[in-house]
Amino acid sequence: MSILTGPEIAARRSRGDLTIEPFVPEHLSTNSYDLTLGPELLAYTGEVLDPYRDNPVETLVLPEEGLELSPDRVYLGASVERIGSDLLTPIVKARSGTARLGLYVHMTADLIDIGSFGQTTFQLHTVQRLRVYPGMVLAQVTWWLPVGAITLYEGKYQGSVGPQPSQSWRDTPAVVSA
Amino acid sequence: MILTGPEIERRRQLGELRLEPFVPDFVNPCSYNYRLGPVLRTLDVGVVDPRAELPLVEMEIPPHGLVLEPRRVYLGTTVEQIGGSDTVPCLIGRSSLGRLGVFVQFAADMGNTGACHRWTLEIEVVQPVRLYPGMVIGQVSFWTTVGEVSTYQGRFGRIDEATTPPPPHLLPPNCPFASPLSASSL
Repeated sequence: MSILTGPEIAARRSRGDLTIEPFVPEHLSTNSYDLTLGPELLAYTGEVLDPYRDNPVETLVLPEEGLELSPDRVYLGASVERIGSDLLTPIVKARSGTARLGLYVHMTADLIDIGSFGQTTFQLHTVQRLRVYPGMVLAQVTWWLPVGAITLYEGKYQGSVGPQPSQSWRDTPAVVSA
Repeated sequence: MILTGPEIERRRQLGELRLEPFVPDFVNPCSYNYRLGPVLRTLDVGVVDPRAELPLVEMEIPPHGLVLEPRRVYLGTTVEQIGGSDTVPCLIGRSSLGRLGVFVQFAADMGNTGACHRWTLEIEVVQPVRLYPGMVIGQVSFWTTVGEVSTYQGRFGRIDEATTPPPPHLLPPNCPFASPLSASSL
């Protein structure tokens, strides 16, 4: 396997090969590092979402006593931690404790590009009504070794602070060729 | 280990993996973008039963897009033929689509070594979302393997159209818990 162990994550972070800030040694697991939920969520206000348009969002501040999420909406949250690496591929996963409650932390896109730095956006979706709290541990980041020459991410989510709504409307619509 | 973007491009040129048609702009730092083909299929039954026939309704995505509704699985296909002779492809959605509540390959993201075809995409949405034909909907990464590579013998990895398994679907012939025959007589 070429996934970093917990001690290796700490060692490579000390060498500057990867970023996890702030770093709390207690959040280190055997082969991942725990991520916590920042204090703000975004939710879309439109009826039908459209990847080729800018979809309006509302900001929901998480009170200390938590906020109840509804199964029929998507909520975007962000990790408190700023993560990234120019040498390794990060992959974000839910903690099993989160998954056992029926909460998804990403819909589909768990892979983070090499060279992408920032607070990662969680794509929160709950199967049953569920309460979330600011600062709760809900995900973990794993680090994987790549093979081959490296080009760095220069995309539109670089340097994210707080949850970032979809910016796919900035892309040129593609056309299927026959 | 996961292949970097330049490594994906290099191995494609060597013929070790296939991404056709290939657009150089779709190479990411550790993946390649794939697009949504113009046809979706959805299961037209009240209860999905892996022992029964599963009629699929086909719909063309018009140029101005089609709104997908929650609580329904849609099957699409990639525009691209995707496969690797000695690597494992993994398909995921794009983060820009995940941020809109679109699940792509939400459970079965891993492909077979040696299978090369237009992939069937499993799509689900949390809120109504409009999808367009030919839009970039996800990314494929390629992973190196350890050990001898066996020839792909499967069924789905040869099919270019969105499909579900044929009856009796997921019940093996010598299933120890219930035979398809006794189960159907219940």
